[in-house]
Amino acid sequence: MLNIKNLHVNVGGSEIIKGLDLEVGAGELHAIMGPNGSGKSTLGYALVGRDGYEVSEGSVDFEGRNLLDLDIEERAAAGLFLALQYPVEIPGVNNAYFLRAALNAQRKARGEEEVDSMSFLKNVREQLKALKMDEALLKRSVNEGFSGGEKKRNEILQMAVLQPKLAILDETDSGLDIDALKLVAEGVNRLRNENRSFIVITHYQRLLDYLEPDRVHVLSDGRIVESGDRSLAQRLEREGYAFLEAAEA
Amino acid sequence: MSALIEKLIPESLPDEPGEFGPLRRKALKVLMQHGFPHRKVENWKYTPLGLLESRAFENATGPSEAPWPELPALPFEASVLHLHDGLLDPARCRLPAGVTLEALAPADVDLSGMDDGSPADAFAWLNLARLQQGWRICVDDHARLERPLLLMLTCGEDFDRVAHPRLKLELGVGAEATLIEWQQGQGSGLINSVLDIELGASSRLLHLIDRHSEETALIERTTVNVNAESSYSGFILDGGGRLTRQDLNVNLNAANAHGAVCGVAVLDGRSLVDYHTAFEHRVGPSTSSEDFRILADDQSVGVFNGRIHILPGADDSHSEMNTGNMLLSRGARINTKPELEIHAEEVTASHGATIGQIDDEARFYLRSRGLSDAQAISLLKFGFAAAAFDSLEPGPPGQWLTDQLKERLSW
Repeated sequence: MLNIKNLHVNVGGSEIIKGLDLEVGAGELHAIMGPNGSGKSTLGYALVGRDGYEVSEGSVDFEGRNLLDLDIEERAAAGLFLALQYPVEIPGVNNAYFLRAALNAQRKARGEEEVDSMSFLKNVREQLKALKMDEALLKRSVNEGFSGGEKKRNEILQMAVLQPKLAILDETDSGLDIDALKLVAEGVNRLRNENRSFIVITHYQRLLDYLEPDRVHVLSDGRIVESGDRSLAQRLEREGYAFLEAAEA
Repeated sequence: MSALIEKLIPESLPDEPGEFGPLRRKALKVLMQHGFPHRKVENWKYTPLGLLESRAFENATGPSEAPWPELPALPFEASVLHLHDGLLDPARCRLPAGVTLEALAPADVDLSGMDDGSPADAFAWLNLARLQQGWRICVDDHARLERPLLLMLTCGEDFDRVAHPRLKLELGVGAEATLIEWQQGQGSGLINSVLDIELGASSRLLHLIDRHSEETALIERTTVNVNAESSYSGFILDGGGRLTRQDLNVNLNAANAHGAVCGVAVLDGRSLVDYHTAFEHRVGPSTSSEDFRILADDQSVGVFNGRIHILPGADDSHSEMNTGNMLLSRGARINTKPELEIHAEEVTASHGATIGQIDDEARFYLRSRGLSDAQAISLLKFGFAAAAFDSLEPGPPGQWLTDQLKERLSW
C-alpha cells in the first residue's frame, strides 16, 4: 500500500528526515517509536503534504500513485488521514457541518455520490455512541473548548466517518487517561480490516497493548534504525532508547 | 466642506414650504452654520465624503421615470414596502392587518438626539432640510406579525440623484415583529436616509439588514428607542459599497430594556463600510450586547466604532461588546474602536477587539480532511463571520440571512 524509499524532508532549512525507508502492506498496523525530535511528526506531516515540509529526495508510492505529486486534499481523497497530535480548534465552524463537507468533498473528488444529511447523521451518531462521545459535540465548533481527550476522540470520529485507506495517528494516546485510551484503541480496532492500514506514532507501549502492531520501528535522527515485532516495543519500554545507542557504538 | 453644501443643497432647489417648513428652516440654518463634517471631526474621519464632492448629482426630486424593478424572491412570505430610488409608492405596499402606513407629520420627528452645535449630525439635518417623503409605519398594540415586514430598497442603474427617505416604525405595547431591510444599490446617487424605531413597552423587534450598496453612496442614521421590558435585536449583513456609512443608536430608555446588535461586513474590491453604533443605557437595569465582525479583502476598508454609554442612574446594567476583524489581503484596511463610558454603579461592561488573518494551521487541517484550499478558506471565513449570528433565533428569516452570508462567502 505504502512504499517510502530514501525519504529526505527539510523543515525551515534543516533536514529532519534523512533517508527513511518504510513499507506498509494492506491491512497492516505499523508502530513508529523514537525519542523526542527524531522526526516522527515530521514524517506524518510530510506524508499528508503540509506546507513547509519539503521533500528534497526520495519517493513515496501510495497504491501505485506518486503521493508527492498530489495536493493535500488530493491525498485525503486518495485515502490518507493524519490524526493530529494537537488537533486544531476552528471557532465558528460546526463540527457536524465540517465533517459532512469534508466527507462529501472527498467523495466528489473520487467521483462518488454525495451523502445526504440523514444518512450522514445516522452514521455519525453510531460512531459517537461507540466512542462514548456526547452528541452535543456535533453542534459545537470544531475542537473549540473540547478537553484534550475529547479532541483526540474527535480525531478518531473523523477517521471513522472518512474511512481512510491509510491512517497515521500522531501520538493520539498522549494526554489520555486509561479509559479514553481504551476507547481510542477500540475505535482504531473497529476500523481494522485487510484493506486498511495504520501507522501509529507513539511514545508508549500501553497503546500497543491494545492495538497489537504487525511491525514496530524505531526512528532516530531521521532514520529508521531498528525494526521488529511487538517485542521491540516491550524492550523499549523496559530499557529505553539507550540499548540502540549501545548497539550503534 | 462648502463644496458639499453647494453639491447637496443647490440654490436652484425650491424651498418647499408646507407643514415641515419650520423644521426645514431650522435644519438649513444648522447646516449653513456648521457645514458638513470634515476629516478632523472624530466620528467622520474615516468616511470619504470627498467621493460625494466628485459626483455630479441630478437635482430632480420627483419619482424616477424608469420602471420599478421586480423584487427578488424571498423563501418566505413577507409584507412588502418597496422604496425605489429613495421613494415609496404607497399603492405598491402590501400590509397585513394590525399595520398602518401614513405620511409622517412634523410631530413625529424627534430632534432630541440631534446635535445642532456641530457638523456631526449634518446628514441627519440634511435629510430634514431636503425631506421629500416621510412615512410612519405603526404596528398595533399586542399585534404579533406572522409575516416579516420587508423594507425593500432598490436603486436603478440610472439613479444619479440625492434622495432623503425618512421612516418611522412604531411597535405598540406588547407587539412583536420582524423587519427586514434589504438594500441593493446600482446607480451613482446618494441615499441619505433616517430610520427611527420606537418600541412600546414589552414589545419585541427582530431587525435584519442585508445590504449591498455597490456604486450607490449610502448614509443612514437609525435610532432605536427601547422602552420598558422591550427588546431590540439587530442582525446586519453588509457587503459595502463605494461609501456606506451607518449610524445605529440604540437608546435603552426604561427598566429591563434590552438591545443587541450583531453585524458582519464582507468587503472586497474598493468597497467601504463605516459603522458607528452606540448603546445608551439611560435607565437600569438594562442590558446590551454587540458582536461586529469585518472581513476585508482586496483594497476594501472597514470601520467599526462601537460605543457603550451607561449614564448616571442606569445602575445594575450589563453590557458586552466584541469586535472581530479579519484582514484577507495586504491592501485591505480595518479601523476598529470599542468605547466604554460608565457613570453608574453595580454595572458589568466588557469589550474586546481582535484583528487577524486566515489561520494557516486551520487551513491545513481542513485541507487534510479533503476540502480544497478555496473551500477551506471559504469555510474559515464563514465560520468566523457566522459566529456573530449565533444568537439569531431559528426561523426562515434568520436562515435566509445566514444563507445570504454563505452566498457572499461562496460557501
